[in-house]
Amino acid sequence: MQYNSLLYLLVFLPVVLLLYQLLPQRHRWKILLGASYVFFFLLSRKLIVYLLLSTVCMHYIGLWLERCDRVLAGQKDAQNYHALKTAADRKRRRILWLGILWQLGTLLLLKYFNFFSHNADALLAKLSLPAFLPTLKMAVPVGISFFTLQAISYMVDVYKKKMPTDENLGRLALYMAFFPAIMEGPICRYGETAMSLYEGKPLTYQNMSFGIQRMIWGLFKKVVLADRLSPLVVLIFTKYTQYSGVTVLLGAICYTLQLYADFSGCIDISIGAAEMFGVRLPENFRQPFFSRTASEFWRRWHITLGAWFKDYIFYPLSLTKGIKRLGKKARLKFGRHIGPVVQTIIPLLAVWLSNGVWHGAGWNYIFFGLYYFVLILTGNLLEPLLAKTYTTLHVNRNGVFLRVVQTLKMAVIIVTGELFFNAHGLKAGFLMLRSIFTNFSLTVFRDGSLLQLGLSAKDFAVVFIGCLIMLAVSIIHEKGVHIRQSVAQWHTVPRWCFYYAAILLVLIFGAYGSGYTPVDPLYANF
Amino acid sequence: MNQLLEILEDINPDNDYLAETKLIDRGLLDSLSLLTLVSEMEDAFDVEITPTDLIPANFNSAVAMWSMIQRLQAENK
Repeated sequence: MQYNSLLYLLVFLPVVLLLYQLLPQRHRWKILLGASYVFFFLLSRKLIVYLLLSTVCMHYIGLWLERCDRVLAGQKDAQNYHALKTAADRKRRRILWLGILWQLGTLLLLKYFNFFSHNADALLAKLSLPAFLPTLKMAVPVGISFFTLQAISYMVDVYKKKMPTDENLGRLALYMAFFPAIMEGPICRYGETAMSLYEGKPLTYQNMSFGIQRMIWGLFKKVVLADRLSPLVVLIFTKYTQYSGVTVLLGAICYTLQLYADFSGCIDISIGAAEMFGVRLPENFRQPFFSRTASEFWRRWHITLGAWFKDYIFYPLSLTKGIKRLGKKARLKFGRHIGPVVQTIIPLLAVWLSNGVWHGAGWNYIFFGLYYFVLILTGNLLEPLLAKTYTTLHVNRNGVFLRVVQTLKMAVIIVTGELFFNAHGLKAGFLMLRSIFTNFSLTVFRDGSLLQLGLSAKDFAVVFIGCLIMLAVSIIHEKGVHIRQSVAQWHTVPRWCFYYAAILLVLIFGAYGSGYTPVDPLYANF
Repeated sequence: MNQLLEILEDINPDNDYLAETKLIDRGLLDSLSLLTLVSEMEDAFDVEITPTDLIPANFNSAVAMWSMIQRLQAENK
């Protein structure tokens, strides 16, 4: 049962909404929790045990941390309070690490053990040594990469005393399993979402209306654009050796659009579904293709993942004693700009390696992470030089010309990154990139072979118009206009015409039914 | 407090540090500025700022930063 399936949209979600509204407010969270576990069970069957174990683990780690604090608070008047506090701090740190190791250990074992064993065995074979690491047959529960990060953020936030321990196991379980966000996120923080999930707000006209509109917009992106592009992308990335460089480039551009439309579309469906229950999930995209630098791109693309890595890897590593010492030395030696950049090298490397590995067990994902590490580090290092150059040349940094040039530069960077991201291995990625430059021929647009890539002329036309609509909506959002609020103020007739037109657009132009293969949400595999 | 304001002005003079209460939430201090700020605060006020202290609530305004510094100084005594 996917978020864009009829079963989910026309049966599961309406039944949950109905039951939710029928129950008294204090019991509504139980419906959400029950529905979330049913949803997860339908997707992952017995693998639900991993979600349960992860939830119980974070619950007990939270309780244990709280007990340490209580014990220490009772000893406040003791003469050796400082020694007791030091011991308690050490104990709390060990408890936190135990929880993190449990959560990360499960993820690493399920997702990455075989990748590690294959590479270790291949290395041993090169050294003429016998392979000894087995290949394990393990099924991976859906959403584990997402709920593991949510569990770790809860434990770290409790450890940091950013919020108190939650003794309510049901509330924690709902935070971990909430069905609209379990497959692809957005990655939530306990402090921002748990209470509103538990609150059981009544359904309101505005929440229902806004939620449905957001879901229709998500369905448009997913079903009309992303799924329609899927056959072309699959064909070119699988048989890239048979195509010219231009076709490979077209494949990379189409994959970038497909990934954005698919992932952001599913996130819209998730946020819209949550909105109907009065729950605000964090935004995950903010017009990423308008970015002017690589670091800005990651502040606009998969925002919740980037924020997680910043808060739980980048800053903690940057503030370790060794790295701070390195930063101070670098500041003395290289000055006030380069110094802090040097301080960030190791934390940035850790963030981008984690980002690559988080997306999947493959060298192309690791390369993808390192690609952005190099781009962002270089951007940070060159910033003073660029600023000086712009001043000398009297170039307005916020002028239209520079903005367009930087956005186009980012388009090239993004498409290149996504080419490696979706390539069938790192070697395939390099071969595809090489073919763009060495096998460049425009005949694909003249000899009719463009229409033999899995998309008809009508498909291309729908994709083109769909992209224009997506661009127009992005421009409106970038200007800070809230489309749904604006539409809500329209007169009844044009407003309902707009709603019906949006629904009909998805129904008529959606790539579903006979002749189309259903495409699972792309990020559910990560 | 004046010394803290001087440090902040030195790092990024574009912000109104006496009035702004969402320096982190609104992205007015980026990660590089924040790391520079932490280092300068440690040197100027003889405190140690750990990852535990690095939460938006402690850095969203100059007043919040000053409260954190005073708390850390008191803990050091």
